[in-house]
Amino acid sequence: MHPIFSSRLRFALYLGGWFTLAPLLAGLLVLLRPRPFADAIAFAGPLTLFYASACLSAWWVCRAHPLGGPKPVHTLLTVFSAAVQASAVWVAAGAVWGAILAAGLGVDPGRATRLQDLIPLALAGVPLYLLSVMAHYIILTFESARAAERRVFESQVTAREAELRALRAQLNPHFLFNSLNSISALAAPDPEAARRMCQLLGDFLRHSLSLGGRERVTLGEELALADRYLAIEQVRFGARLGVDKRADDGALSCLVPPLLLQPLVENAVKHGVADRVEGGTIRIEAHRRGDALVVEVENPRDPDAPPRRGQGLGLENVRARLDALDRRQTRVDVDRSPDRFRVTLTLPAREGEEGRDGH
Amino acid sequence: MATEPRPLRAVIVDDEGPARDLLREYLSGEPGITVVAECANGFEAVKRIGELSPDLVFLDVQMPKLDGFEVLELIEPGPAVVFVTAYDEYALKAFEVHAVDYLLKPFGRERLAEALARVRARRAGASTSAMAPGPGGGSAPQTPAISPGQIAAAARRPGQFVERLLVKEGSQVHVIPADRLDYLEAQDDYVAIHSGGKSHLKVGTLADISAGLDPDRFVRIHRSYVLNVERIGKLELYAKDSRMAILADGRQLPVSRAGYTRLRELLK
Repeated sequence: MHPIFSSRLRFALYLGGWFTLAPLLAGLLVLLRPRPFADAIAFAGPLTLFYASACLSAWWVCRAHPLGGPKPVHTLLTVFSAAVQASAVWVAAGAVWGAILAAGLGVDPGRATRLQDLIPLALAGVPLYLLSVMAHYIILTFESARAAERRVFESQVTAREAELRALRAQLNPHFLFNSLNSISALAAPDPEAARRMCQLLGDFLRHSLSLGGRERVTLGEELALADRYLAIEQVRFGARLGVDKRADDGALSCLVPPLLLQPLVENAVKHGVADRVEGGTIRIEAHRRGDALVVEVENPRDPDAPPRRGQGLGLENVRARLDALDRRQTRVDVDRSPDRFRVTLTLPAREGEEGRDGH
Repeated sequence: MATEPRPLRAVIVDDEGPARDLLREYLSGEPGITVVAECANGFEAVKRIGELSPDLVFLDVQMPKLDGFEVLELIEPGPAVVFVTAYDEYALKAFEVHAVDYLLKPFGRERLAEALARVRARRAGASTSAMAPGPGGGSAPQTPAISPGQIAAAARRPGQFVERLLVKEGSQVHVIPADRLDYLEAQDDYVAIHSGGKSHLKVGTLADISAGLDPDRFVRIHRSYVLNVERIGKLELYAKDSRMAILADGRQLPVSRAGYTRLRELLK
């Protein structure tokens, strides 16, 4: 919809501007050739209204050639040629309207005199159109600023939602139930191991809560949390769960959104270990590549396993959070082969401001 | 009531070591029950249950290869089944397939004792009712008969299609993913499942076995054939009102008139 019509205020201002122009134009005509003011208004009024509607076309010109575009000269030429064309149409309309009025009122001042009346139209046409172009550019700029604001707001909401989902996923009840069952199993034959498991579980929950409450955490902290999680799962799965973790020092001090890796590690355990008779080894690798931090989580998979419901939810979540962080500088790559599944996260390597690595 | 003369023979199926240990420990304290096997995955479970025909199976749901419901689909009806899982969302399905009880991890001794009482009650009820009709053997069905197809249907979520077919041949279990199916062929009391040049026989009717397959991919082209439409090379008119589907590998299957209508409907 045309922006002038999309707001009552804009429409009123636009129309008001043109309505003040009509008497001015009429006055000018009276000055040029004395006549009753009413006659001058009868000529100038409808013509002003006509031009007011013609000048609305400036919007399409402005939209096709946004300010700050790659070809400013081209834009300038287009705007001018539009102005010239519009005012030519206006002058032509003036000629026709003058003839109609002359015929209707029965007082024809003569063809030459009527043509004189068109001079103010020819002079004012181009500047008026340019004024309209300016007004439209202002509206466009205003609207795009508002749209940008809305986008920022929306992406903030998305980020918040992703965080909430991450936290909810974090407290995966089945993980808790199975862990409690393992503790129950260990309690009689190996009380020491049961206590150790209680500690691990407590540690894991405490850390996931404290990391989850923060804006950014270091990859080192994130990996330490994964260690605790895997240690608990190792009690459940025994020798079936293998872990191969490698991270260079530069990567460990990089900042990431909290609990970013957790859904990936959980998925890796589920598909790489729980769904396989012989279990498997989960590989986690993190390194710096120039200005980027690259984190890989890989697990083997059973080629015959049916696609499980809920698969991809964790991955969706990671993708949404990285998108919210920075759509252009982050990537999530999924490499899926029949017997292997790998997720690679790439994000800008930023270190903690207080220089966490110095501690 | 007197205790049973013969102890109940139980099999534990769970892929997690600690979970098996716990059940074994609890059961060792219960009179009148012996654990005859522990299985760490579905394949093993199908094999051992087939060999041992136990009275009772403790069955985990989420396991590698075959899940608990798939195990149930492949074993002979007979053993009482108690599901043991951390997931409460399968409870309804479990009772649809006549599970005796559903234990949620973590559970205590009392809850297990309750489950055992239910197992015994059901066995008692079954043996008295089995007295009348006929020669009630050791493997007399204790519950109303339920077909493997019904179990498979119960295990599926609404709106979800069968992703793989399971066939047990002797003690071997074959898993055939739906996307590798070529066609199904009715053969008396069996259905031949053709996949990648091999075929496996499964007891059941064509309608039963093809029931849960994705109807956008599998079409009943004939009284005796259900075809994966992705395998069709071309269709040839063979006689009036009868056509042949030529598969990509050259095999020819008859297409009935009704089958052709269904096929055309789908390929539109």
